[in-house]
Amino acid sequence: MIAEPAVGLKALHSKRGWLGVGVAVLVMGILVPVLSLGVPASSALHLPDYLVALLGKFLCYGIVALAIDLIWGFTGILSLGHGVFFALGGYAMGMYLMLSIGAQGVYKSALPDFMVFLDWHELPWFWRGFNNLSVALCAALVVPGLLAFAFGYFAFRSRIRGVYFSIITQALTYALMLLFFRNETGFGGNNGLTDFKSLYGYDLHRPSTKVALYVLSALGLLLTYLICRYIVTSKAGRVLRAIRDVESRAMFVGFNPTNYKLFAWTLSAVLCGLAGALYVPQVGIINPGEMQPANSIEMAIWVAVGGRATLFGAILGAFLVNGMRSFFTAAMPNAWLYILGSLFIAVTLFFPDGVAGALGRLKRKS
Amino acid sequence: MSTSALSSTVPTEPTTAPEKTATKSKRPWSVRPRIVDPVRREKVVAGRPAVLCVDDISVSFDGFKALTNLTLILDKGELRCLIGPNGAGKTTLMDVITGKTKPDSGTVFLTHDARDLTQLAEYEIAELGICRKFQRPTVFAGHSVYENLELALQGKKSVWSSLFFRLTPAQKTTIEEILEQIGLHEHAAVRAGQLAHGQKQWLEIGMLLAQNPKVLLVDEPIAGMTHQESERTAELLKSLAGERTVVVVEHDMDFVRSIASKVTVLHQGSVLAEGDIDTVQNDPRVVEVYLGEPRS
Repeated sequence: MIAEPAVGLKALHSKRGWLGVGVAVLVMGILVPVLSLGVPASSALHLPDYLVALLGKFLCYGIVALAIDLIWGFTGILSLGHGVFFALGGYAMGMYLMLSIGAQGVYKSALPDFMVFLDWHELPWFWRGFNNLSVALCAALVVPGLLAFAFGYFAFRSRIRGVYFSIITQALTYALMLLFFRNETGFGGNNGLTDFKSLYGYDLHRPSTKVALYVLSALGLLLTYLICRYIVTSKAGRVLRAIRDVESRAMFVGFNPTNYKLFAWTLSAVLCGLAGALYVPQVGIINPGEMQPANSIEMAIWVAVGGRATLFGAILGAFLVNGMRSFFTAAMPNAWLYILGSLFIAVTLFFPDGVAGALGRLKRKS
Repeated sequence: MSTSALSSTVPTEPTTAPEKTATKSKRPWSVRPRIVDPVRREKVVAGRPAVLCVDDISVSFDGFKALTNLTLILDKGELRCLIGPNGAGKTTLMDVITGKTKPDSGTVFLTHDARDLTQLAEYEIAELGICRKFQRPTVFAGHSVYENLELALQGKKSVWSSLFFRLTPAQKTTIEEILEQIGLHEHAAVRAGQLAHGQKQWLEIGMLLAQNPKVLLVDEPIAGMTHQESERTAELLKSLAGERTVVVVEHDMDFVRSIASKVTVLHQGSVLAEGDIDTVQNDPRVVEVYLGEPRS
């Protein structure tokens, strides 16, 4: 059912693989900040702020793509609802940023503006504690994790698989989107959370803060990559692939597929939460639009384009598709969805193993 | 299913209302006891050197009785062949023992364990040491031969232990030995999907060995094999019995003759005859339902 990854895990985790990681860290993690902060704005080499913010967003998308690769590429479970975990992580961070605005809002109240607008007089109970950054960060990881665990527990225990599972994940993200759209839910409704001023005392509009957030995202991506890499090369990773390929055999060999799926699924959601928490301070807004079913589908497309079950393919796909998105939504805004759709069809037809697979085939030919 | 022509040999079943039992047993939350009654257990074993007992099992699918009050006792270290015409219930019996199918009534138990296997999940039964080889070879095609054996290796199978798993020297030796035994030593690094059909069958048997099972269930091991390959398979199966109990389902009578000390004939969901191959082959009932005509 699922094509063999054309790029073997061995090639990915050789010395040359590590070299690639090192080069990527150097370029993305060091060169970009230096070009942005260390080079004067007049120089041709200077990297403008908007590009740093854009690349920072891509790094967060890279984390999401890795998380989806773990559950889809390696475990064979296609989630079309990962946007919900991403958004929940974003909301947790957004709540902290909202509360740290303090009395600088439009209404000069200690409460977030939208609550003043709704004529609320105190913070709802689930907002308490979110003026503490570590609480917010924990929530950004734990809340998506708990939701995924509960959802996965019932789905996997009932042996829901394949397209049925994918459809339910779409329903999940849609249902939460509707819930978050309501003003009464207490997360700013339609407008979401925005107008952030500072993070941990640092002004969000200053270039140095932006670069710092960028570097944190790069570290987040590196950490996620190392975690995923450890898992897929461990015996647990081999079990996940075994379950993906022949679940019944894996069961008769003595592995409980439910536990393994639940592990990969929950971890995947937690990583998405991390990505969301890093993403929101960089873009300055989180609203229910992030939970649109189409968003989650696009996330799966990143991985399909990049190539499943190779890890670096997922990151590549996230960068490639989002790079195209940035270009085309500026150059021809109306055409983007058609381009995305055609891209997905083309990849499915001609490169079922994605860019990573195509690269691997090129390498073997030469 | 070729049941109609042979119906005279079986006690006639009331065919009107078996659907009821089928639906009743498929309830997910079973209230049946999880432990086999010790008195009953002793009565079934009756002092034999048994390892696995299938006691009074009945299974029906939408009214079709696949197994009817079937009792089968497997002794330690024996090599048993299960034969029977299509639809006799051989594969269903395997499914019941390994937990894939839940029976309407009856119990399955190991003599060294108190639990009723029909109440356990597949992976729990596998952990108890009952392993199964499927009719079609099912190996992990994307993994190397070595990795296939590593995954099958007996030991802790939880997520946590797999995350921090390292092969011990003893385990490495075990894998090497099995590779030698199944003749795939030179193919250890080959992806299992690239093996020839017969080699896949051996790899699957090797995986069962790695699980260090007490009971090995082997479903049609020589289907699609060349003559040489099936000879080698017969050798392999014979070398496995003794330490373990091996149950082989097979159609090929020559193959059965070449490996089995004891044969059980199933017919329409019950045991029709049991004994050594010559006794069974000359049993007139067996001749009638299964062999069709006496062999020369």
